[in-house]
Amino acid sequence: MNKLVMNKLLRATLLVCLLVLATPALAHSPIMGIGGVFGGMLHALLIPEHGIGLLAVGLALGRQQGPASRAGLLIFMAALTGGLVVTAFVTEPALAADVLLAAAGILGLLIAAAWVPPVVGWPLAAITAVALALDSRPEVTSTEEAVRMLIGTGIGGMIALAIVTEGTALLQGDVSRTALRVFGSWIAAIAILDLSLRAVTRIATG
Amino acid sequence: MAPAMTFFGSRRVIMRSLGCLLPLVAVLITSSPALAHSENGAAIDFAGGFTHPIFGPDHVIAMVAVGLWGAFLGAPAIWVLPVVFPLVMAAAGALGVFGVPLPGVEVGIALSAIALGGMVAFAAKPPLWIAAVLVGAFAVFHGHAHGAELPVGADAIAYSMGFVVATGMLHVSGIAFGGLSHWPAGRVAVRAAGAVIALIGVAFLVRSI
Repeated sequence: MNKLVMNKLLRATLLVCLLVLATPALAHSPIMGIGGVFGGMLHALLIPEHGIGLLAVGLALGRQQGPASRAGLLIFMAALTGGLVVTAFVTEPALAADVLLAAAGILGLLIAAAWVPPVVGWPLAAITAVALALDSRPEVTSTEEAVRMLIGTGIGGMIALAIVTEGTALLQGDVSRTALRVFGSWIAAIAILDLSLRAVTRIATG
Repeated sequence: MAPAMTFFGSRRVIMRSLGCLLPLVAVLITSSPALAHSENGAAIDFAGGFTHPIFGPDHVIAMVAVGLWGAFLGAPAIWVLPVVFPLVMAAAGALGVFGVPLPGVEVGIALSAIALGGMVAFAAKPPLWIAAVLVGAFAVFHGHAHGAELPVGADAIAYSMGFVVATGMLHVSGIAFGGLSHWPAGRVAVRAAGAVIALIGVAFLVRSI
């Protein structure tokens, strides 16, 4: 093998290293390299802000009576679908994650207080769904891939929410109710701390 | 035709070397550093947030005392106090993050251990709202101290999650130990633990003034 071929091989190897090591600008990709519907599902489940939001809505809806809980799930699904459709056409709003955290924090406070009436819980569920959808814009160049990932995000979000809601509804007894209140206070505390850290970081970095 | 010679060798060799070096430089430039730590050396991930309250013994004893006292008072204090503490702590932590000054933070933290430990040691059973206000007032000092020390950096959500979960776990450990108060011997043990916490608080107070 002559020197020219060796040099080409070396360059090609280095180029491959470059491509492998150069991190793409994925703002919040849970697992790089996994795309499509499954990647979208993971996006909904593994992004901490989204997980906190889904957990807060699920705990809040799970504490409501059967019909109210199911209506809340439908409202969330409709808002999430609408938000995902909008997300396919617009750029990601800068404050979507902040709105998502704020809604989760308020829901956490309501869960801690064991007072989540539908008139408050449903709008917050809808706000969480829209914010989650707007914060889920996949950073891929292909439109088809983006649509597939958004569909996955919708499916993953709804499955996760249904599981948390139904699981919460099954929790009975004083210990379970106490644990729910404590979880609610943790969600609210995480949201407050995260929002303040985000604000300060934003101010510090201009 | 012979290749043109320069100080470093033939032009072709230089071009080949550059051709190899440029991608290498590009790799070095584009490979991202492991940003697990902030500029001041503090971890800004879940582990960093989780260890932050645990590595402060003055915080640890006060948070355990909250759980102990809650368990000692029984329902609904057993959940009201551990719910009040993280909420007020987070709100005060936000003030600390924004740099809002609060005088006497270290004294307040030491006093929290003395007061909460003393409540357990003396088996004090005030009305729920007084207990909640007391715990909330002391949570302000703990939250502000934590908030002022929080590193500004990425992954704020992971750090916050670790921080809050660790705080909650300390409460739960206090509640678990306080559960012994259902038995006479356990009640003595819990009150003794409260006395130890109060004494440690005195030591922290002496050191802070």
